[in-house]
This record gives sequence, structure tokens and C-alpha cells, in this order.
Amino acid sequence: MAPLTPYTFFQCPCSEPSTLGQPADRSSGAGAGAEPDADDEDRAFDPRAPRSNYSLYPLEYLLYCEDCQQIRCPRCVAEEIVTFYCPCCLFEVPSSNLKSEGNRCTRSCFQCPVCIGPLTTTSLESHPDPSLLAAPDNSAVPHSGPYMLTCSYCNWSSTEIGIKFDKSNGIHAQLAKLRNGGTTRLTAKEHKERRKDLLQGGGPSTRTAEAAVDGRDLDVDTQFANLKAFYQNQLADSSSGGNGLSSLGDLGFASPNSLSRIMSIYTGGNLHDKRSKSRIGVMREALDSDEGLKIANLDESEAVEKLQEEGYDATVSTEQMSNQTPNLGEAPLHGRGRFTSELRPVPYLLRTKRSKRCPICRHIISKPEAKVQATRFRIRLVAGSYIPSITIRPLNTPEANPGAPSDTLQPLKPVQFLLTFKNPIFEAVKVTLATPAKTPGRFASKVTVLCPQFEIDANTDVWDEALKDGDKDKRRRRGEDGPHQAEAGKIWERGRNWVSLVIEVVPASLRLDLLALTSPAGGHEVDTGPLREDEDLLEIPMFVRVEWEADAVGDEIGSAPNKDKEGREKRELAYWCVLGLGRVSQS
Amino acid sequence: MASSTGPPTTLPHRSVANIRSPPAAGHHGPSSGPSTPLRPITSAFASPSSLRAEEDLIIIEFGTRKLQVGFAGDAAPRGSIWFGPDHQRRVGDFRAWQTDYHDDWRNAAAGKSWGCDHELWQSDIRGLDLGLVGDKIERALKDAFSRYLLIDSRPRRVVCVLPSDLPIPLLSTALDSLFNRFQSPTVSLFSSPVASAVAAGMRSALVIDLGWSETVVTAVYEYREVNCGRTIRGGRMLVEQTHNLLAKHLPQARKETEAAHSSQQAQDYALSFEECDEITTRMVWCKPYHAATTTVAQTAEGLPTVQEHDESDARGHSSSGKAATATIPLKSAKPPTLLNLPYDLLTEPCENTFFDSRYSQSSFDDHELPVYLLVYRSLLNLPLDVRAICMSRIIFTGGCTGVLGLRKRIFDEVSHLIQQRGWDPVQGKATEQLRSNLKLNRGTRQAGTGPTDAASQAGGSSGGGGGGGGEEQDGVWHDAANNTPKVDPIDEQLKRGGDKRPRVQGQMRALESLGAWTGASMISHLKTPAIATIGRDLWLQQGAAGASKASDVDPKTQQRQSLGAGGLIRGAAASSAWTLGVWGAN
Repeated sequence: MAPLTPYTFFQCPCSEPSTLGQPADRSSGAGAGAEPDADDEDRAFDPRAPRSNYSLYPLEYLLYCEDCQQIRCPRCVAEEIVTFYCPCCLFEVPSSNLKSEGNRCTRSCFQCPVCIGPLTTTSLESHPDPSLLAAPDNSAVPHSGPYMLTCSYCNWSSTEIGIKFDKSNGIHAQLAKLRNGGTTRLTAKEHKERRKDLLQGGGPSTRTAEAAVDGRDLDVDTQFANLKAFYQNQLADSSSGGNGLSSLGDLGFASPNSLSRIMSIYTGGNLHDKRSKSRIGVMREALDSDEGLKIANLDESEAVEKLQEEGYDATVSTEQMSNQTPNLGEAPLHGRGRFTSELRPVPYLLRTKRSKRCPICRHIISKPEAKVQATRFRIRLVAGSYIPSITIRPLNTPEANPGAPSDTLQPLKPVQFLLTFKNPIFEAVKVTLATPAKTPGRFASKVTVLCPQFEIDANTDVWDEALKDGDKDKRRRRGEDGPHQAEAGKIWERGRNWVSLVIEVVPASLRLDLLALTSPAGGHEVDTGPLREDEDLLEIPMFVRVEWEADAVGDEIGSAPNKDKEGREKRELAYWCVLGLGRVSQS
Repeated sequence: MASSTGPPTTLPHRSVANIRSPPAAGHHGPSSGPSTPLRPITSAFASPSSLRAEEDLIIIEFGTRKLQVGFAGDAAPRGSIWFGPDHQRRVGDFRAWQTDYHDDWRNAAAGKSWGCDHELWQSDIRGLDLGLVGDKIERALKDAFSRYLLIDSRPRRVVCVLPSDLPIPLLSTALDSLFNRFQSPTVSLFSSPVASAVAAGMRSALVIDLGWSETVVTAVYEYREVNCGRTIRGGRMLVEQTHNLLAKHLPQARKETEAAHSSQQAQDYALSFEECDEITTRMVWCKPYHAATTTVAQTAEGLPTVQEHDESDARGHSSSGKAATATIPLKSAKPPTLLNLPYDLLTEPCENTFFDSRYSQSSFDDHELPVYLLVYRSLLNLPLDVRAICMSRIIFTGGCTGVLGLRKRIFDEVSHLIQQRGWDPVQGKATEQLRSNLKLNRGTRQAGTGPTDAASQAGGSSGGGGGGGGEEQDGVWHDAANNTPKVDPIDEQLKRGGDKRPRVQGQMRALESLGAWTGASMISHLKTPAIATIGRDLWLQQGAAGASKASDVDPKTQQRQSLGAGGLIRGAAASSAWTLGVWGAN
């Protein structure tokens, strides 16, 4: 395992079960003294619960709505699409194309089906060797003849699946017409003609004619189109009585159908009854391949033999398989899709640039530049500039054992960590912390926050501080007094817009036999299963409540702080976060 | 081809219909009165408010291991999301990119049942965290929407394709996340067997869903599910069997005693689920059916219509597959190794999972019937005419259809069973004696009565009819010869479709379906309203408890509601009943 650096995750308030149902805003300033009350205490956040994985985010992923004064996570923003583009050729795709041509790039951008590298179109004829054909004009001649797609990373080329292209551009359209092995797909028209030929001329070859009726060679796309045409025909035919399916057409009062319906109401339903009786409202089933019927070809012995001969290496891994797009030009593959010979170049999935809105007040909180090449954002309200960031580092007091490896924590041995809260806003904030005394989960570590309540100064201009008199003693580093002990109720250190404090942890022992001994006797059955993934991680849930005063009128938080008190209002933000301190050693 | 003679209800000649532009409803019987031609309505006219993305009807198919999404009218889903442990990590957890990540599967899978991370839900919902299921659905859908559908988060109408035996709590969880997180105005539900049948162009079918957690055999008759049988023999069992096979042949395992192997519950898994799953999809195949192993003399009463099978094909196999070996690299074993297995041995997992012919057929519980037996029993449970229709419309769907040769094997086994036993629910030695004893046999019903025989006896000349008058119901014998056939209007309607060519029935036939997702896409594209269409407001008010029985709901009101022809009707519809269809509680 790689050494673990301490980390923090924040929980977006939208995931709390109480707010999930009604996403109403939690009005600010309600009950200033109300700490996480008894109810909250009972269901303290458990970072190990599998559900918590869905609500925790690193600070960088979170946005912030200024108007609602609330954190917004990727789950609780409304998205709007700015542009669609291909990540390979960076061409913008109009949204109308998306509907007709699907979600993949229809130019010549393809991914290698084996290694997902980009494919390039190259001429199949290799460069004429200058030593053999010493004609300089020969090399100047542009490539001609068949082309193929090659992967420069793994050397896969489309000739492996028997596909060559006539032209070097419009590969997507060419590929759509080719089957693996190089045979061209029949268009719907050709299908029909071929079938007619077979039925008319094929006196002796009834076998092939039957195959045509059965639709053995019907590919997915054609089968779908045939079925759709068949159903549409049937619906138009059978629903003429207005039995609901056609009622789309009946909405207007000018339509004779609704006229007769109204008439039937006034004439006591006689007319209607008669009509409905005479209606012939049943669709029939598809009967031949023209109507989308396809008899399954159950004989897969060829594939079985192929598998036997070519073995494991001729098959496709699940990852490669999941990257494949459904091959509409082929009959349903079922098991045959497992062979490398059935791989197809994967056209690049299009991507989007999205602007994000607050779902409640509809204000834009993130808006990227519309140009595909630009990576900048026009608007981007990241939560990192509104809520205090937390950084963690181990506190190496002199008496601590210097020889101990820093990346694992020794069980049952108290460790101290330094939490540094940094205030990004231009107001001084009051922070209140709360942690459960024991971390939830099977292995409960003891946690003590030495100073759960403190104030961080505003994020003023750096020069302001330097130009002012610097002898405010509260800002003076405490470390100047020499090495000191962490004291309860006192912060460790303080800077211009940051405060650090000490948290003391006694990591739990991970021994399963101890678990059975230490658990309360009257409690429920002790789970003595093996150590699960990440159960050796020491993660502390911490409830953070931030309070500050801001101008009530102006929307901007960063206006001048020296205003009269009447115009100011109290604001509050409260959320859970998770501090990952390190792994407990399992010795 | 289309001979448009005979009945008054002529089908418009197809080519003519194509020339006259709108999908013409031009020709009907003279009695049907005036009508407007059907016109495909574009969204610009249909939707009164452009705020809602009216046109993009999203089809979602929920499976145990993956989720497929796409738009209505597409031939195939635009993308599918597989559930896996990597999907359940925190955002910003990049450990999947660490080099030793995949070697660490033992640690990752510890304390959980093997492979359950790869499932969205278990149908045993005791102890299942529904909130977690909701989270999984939400994340997968969000991922699918933004990656594959490239849509924004405006509310959209959604069509869900669900297995019809989905427990209500799971259904309710899925609906909750659709309504709460995605704000869908309406969600329609389609059952996957019916959708599969539609995607095969059929009104009736026997859908054999070789799924992940279980194999479900559903008989669909006239778009209704009439019978459903299940067995736990599905993909999960197949992967577990593959694991057992591989673990047995690991070098270090060979030394170990057999005793350790026999107690499979206590046994630790020697290989990671991911690897076994992969090997299952890559290498496992299924032996063809050997008629020689269970030879039965072709009895005189044997079904005349059963297809002949190429036995030469099977023989060719066994001869060529003498000493072939397959080399399988195992990375998750300790230490990593290359395993050389006889190629034929790779059929063992499939054999054990789906057929289990080691044991006698009577030794299975109801929940673990071998698949072919389940198919046979499902057919047997059907009424005669339904059986005749369904047996010639067998559709294989589900993930395990990818096992090479499995479909044919099941098909052949069932055919053989029918040939051997006929449609006699009673079996055993006594019936054998009865069947062989001609004296006893005379008066009673013939043991080997095939559906075609019955249909021809019953319906007389109308062989294509849906079961005719029924000569023997509840043991009461009706005098079919002297009865004048009553003209049944429903029967007439049914027969209408088969005016040109008779419906295929009474013979075993497997059809290719485009899959449940495509079926639902087709249905929604044709604007056919679903029976179970749930409005957001009603769901948020009432939840699953507010649903009424499917039979209590007037589909007409439902249609009007879904068409949304003005606020008046919508307001009235708010108080109307709605249903969860087959999923609803009774």
C-alpha cells in the first residue's frame, strides 16, 4: 500500500436524509446556539457506511451558491450543456446532429478496440522503398489505394478484422457499411431486391429462400427498421377505430373522428358501440424477415471450434468488450462477440461542456468558456473560496518516537495531529467543531479535539497586515515561547487567516480477538468477520459549523468590513466532514 | 407476396402504402366511419411547453449487473453502465489507478460475499440497504446520462424496463431516485419479457431470460405474462462454478485434500471475482446435446413436428475435441500462474449450472430446477393453445446467452424431453407402463398428445385458430362433431392476423429478439401508452402504497393523462387511480 497522506472529505448537506425529501433552504441564523442537537448526535455521520461514499467529496469538487449560501455538490446542481465536442478532433458538434447521428464522433476519430489508443488512417501500401524504386517523384505521389486504421501504441490495425477503406476521409460512414471480414452490408433496398430474387428465381434453392424468410442474415439495424415499419403499419391499420393509439391524431375538434365521437355521445352511444364492435383492433405478429421476424440461429459449433483452436488469446477481455459499441451491422452476436475478430474500432464518445446552476435559486454557479479549446471558466464559484479548508499534519512533539514510521499509526498509542483551518472569506469566522468521542465502526478509536471552538480572522489583504502594527500579541506565534504542550481549550497556533489546533487520537487495536473482549456484554452480536477493506483507515467524522457576519444588503461577501452593525446579518454554514488521518498498523 | 384477397379487412398493400405518403389508415371496412390519417407529430407541435424536453423519452433497462440507457426509437441502447466496486468509491478516490490495486483484491473483497459488489441489488431484500441501492442507481444514471446520452438535467419522461418479479421495495427505490433526483414528470414501466417479445415481433412468446441471479422463464401470451418460473441457475452460479473448477486445478490446490474442497461455504475464494467473471465470459462453453447418451426409441406417438437435429454436428465435435487444452492465465491466484486445462473441462461449469444431469430430475427443489426442466415445466403448465403458440416462439435473452452453445443445448434438451414424455404431467414407471400397454391406453387421452394433434382435433378445420372450442375441459367431454362452431368475435379478431399465412404453432422454434431494451424503445416510439405510468406528483404524495390494481385502472384515463391534452384533464387525472401494473401489490 502506498503511504497515505492525510486527507479531508466534505459531505454536501444535500445528502442528509432530512433534507433529501424537501430541498428547502436551511434558513441562516436560525437558532444560533443550537449545536448539533440530540437527534443529530444519535445519528452521527459514519464515514465507513457504504452510503457515505456517495455523499463525500474532496473540497475541490464542491461548488457554492452565493445566494442560497449553501454548498452544492455534483449531485445537487442543475446542469445545462454549453457545447458538445469530440475530445479527439475538438470539433464542435451541433445538438441536432446528436439526435440523428448518435453520441459518437462521426468524423474519422476512432479508438483502438484493444488498447483505447487513438487510431490513425494510413495507407495500406507501405511507403515505396527508395532504395528499390529510386524515383523521387514516386514518394511525392499521395497515398492511394486502400486505407486502414492503425493504432500506434499496440500496432492493432483494421486489417486484422479484414476491414479496408477506399477513401481516407469519412471513415465513420465507410465503416458503417462494412462488416468484419470486409463484406459490405446490404442496404434495406438491396435486402428487398435480393429477397425478391430468391423467391422468384429460387425454385431449387428453397433452402436459401427459406433463410431469407427466416431472416438468418438480418442484422440488428435492419431488423429493427423492419419491425418498426411493420408495427407502424399494423397500428395504422388496426387503430383506425380510435382506440387510443391513434388518438394523437384525434385531438383536434375538426377531425372527423372526434366529430363522430361527439355525435355518438349525443345519440346515446349507439353509433359508438356499433363502431367499436366492428373495429378490427388486433395487430398480428410479424411473419417474415421483411416484418422483422428472425429465427434464432442456435448452432454455434463453429464458434466453439474456433475457441478451441485459438484459445484464450483470441478472446476479448471484459473491459474491451464494454468499450465496444453495439454492432448494428451484424446479427446479434451472443457468444461470438467474444472473439477479437469481432472487434470494431470504437468511435470517440462525444463530450460536453456544462454550466451548472443552483437547483433552488437557478443562479449560475459554474459556466465554462463556450469555445472547445478554452479550458477557462467564466463563472466558477468553488466552495474552497467560501468555506474554511482543513489541512492535517502529524504533530511531532519532541517526546514522540522519531523512529516510528510516519505513515502508519500504532494502535493504542496516543497520537496528536495538527489541524489547520484556513479562512478564505473576508470576514472573521467563528468555527465550532464536534466529533464523536469514539469513531463509529467496529474499531472505535478515541478522539479528542483539544479546542473545539475558535475564531479565525478575516482573509484580509496580505499587505494590510504587513503595513499595520505587527505587535498584536494574539497573532504572535506561540512557538516562540519554546516547545510547549498542547493544552485543552487553547489553540495551537494562529496566523493572519488561519488557526491550527491539536487533535488527539488513540487508534483502536485492529485485533479481532480483542474486539470480542472489549465490546459491551449486553450488546448485540459482535461481528468478528475478517478485516474489511479500509477498516484499518483511521477516519474521523467531524461536524463543522461556521458562523460569520456579513452585509445583509449586498450580495457580495467581500465588501468593506467596517459597516454599521445594523446592516449586517449572521450567517451560518454547517456540514460534516471526514478527516482521514492514516492507517493503523495491523501488527 | 401479399395477397390481399378474402377478408374485408385487407391489409393495405405495402408498397402502395409507402407511395401514399402518410402511414395510411386509408382503407378500412366501410363501417368504421370517417377518420383522420395518422400523422407523426413532431415535438414542435406536440409539446405545449418547450421547457420540458418532451421528445427525449429515455429508456432505462435495469439489470442486476448493468444498466442500459438510450432514447426511444433507437435500435440499441446508447450506453450501459456495469456496477462494480469502483463505482462505489468516493468521488476523488483514485486508488483504481494505483499499480498494485488489482493485486489487492483479497483485501478489497474481504468480509463481503464474493462478487456482491458487482450487483445493483439482490432480490432477497432482507438486510439490503435500500438507500444504498438508491445511491447506486442515482450515480449510475447520472453517469450514463452525462457520458452516453449527453443530456442536461432538465426533467425528462422516463420509461423503465424491469424484470416483472422485481420486489416492490426495489421498484419503489428506483422510482424514488428517478422522481426525486431526476425530477422526471412521468415514469412508465414495461416488463422485460413482454418487451422482449415485442422486439421479436411477437404477441406471444416463451421468454427464457438467462439472467445473472436467476433464470426466469416467462410465458407471454397476447402481451400478457401468463406464467413465470424461476430457478437460481443463472450467471452468478455459473461464475461460482467456474471459480470452483479453476480453484480445483490450481497447482497448490491439487495437493490439498478433497475435504477442504467439499465444504465450499467455508472455503476461501482462491481467485478474484473479476477474473472468474472474465474467464467465464471468455472461455466457458457448453457441450452440444448428445442424443446418444439418453437414447430413446422414437415412439410412434412422438411429436411429428419436432425439428430434426443434426446429430452429425455433435459427433464431429467430440471427435475433434480429443486432447485440446486451453491455457488460461490467472493473475489473481497466489502466485500468478498459467493454467492448462483440457478444453472439454471448460464445459463443466455450464453443465453443472444449467443442467446438473448428475442427479435425477426428481431430486431438485423448486427453486433449483435445471433450466431445461424448468422450460419444460413452464410449457407444461400452460393451457393447451397457449402452449402451442409459445413453444414455437422461444426467445433467449439475458447475459448467459453468450455462453457458446448454451441456447442450442437447452433447446435440444427441451425438445428431447417433449419427445420423450409428451405433455404428460405425470411421469414415472407407472406411466411408462401405461403408455406401453395399449389396452389401457385406448380409452384415455393419449399420452403423447402434442399440441398440434390437440389443436387439429379441437379446432377441426380451423387449425390456425387460437385453440378452438376446446373438446375436453375439466374432464367433461363435449361433442365436437355435432357442435356448430360458434362465431366468437374475439376469435375472429385473433384470426384476422393470420389471414394469409397460418400462425406457426405446435413446433419448437427459437426466435431472435432484439432485447428488452429495444422492445421498450420500439413501444415508446410508437407512442403506445404503458399500463403502469406513474406521475411524479402522485408518487410523491402517495408512494407505492397509492397504487391500485391494474384491473381497476381505466387505461383511457391513463392515456389522456399521458397525452396531456390540456390542463383540465390533467387536473382531473390527479385524482384518478394509477397502477404499478404487474409489480403492484394486490
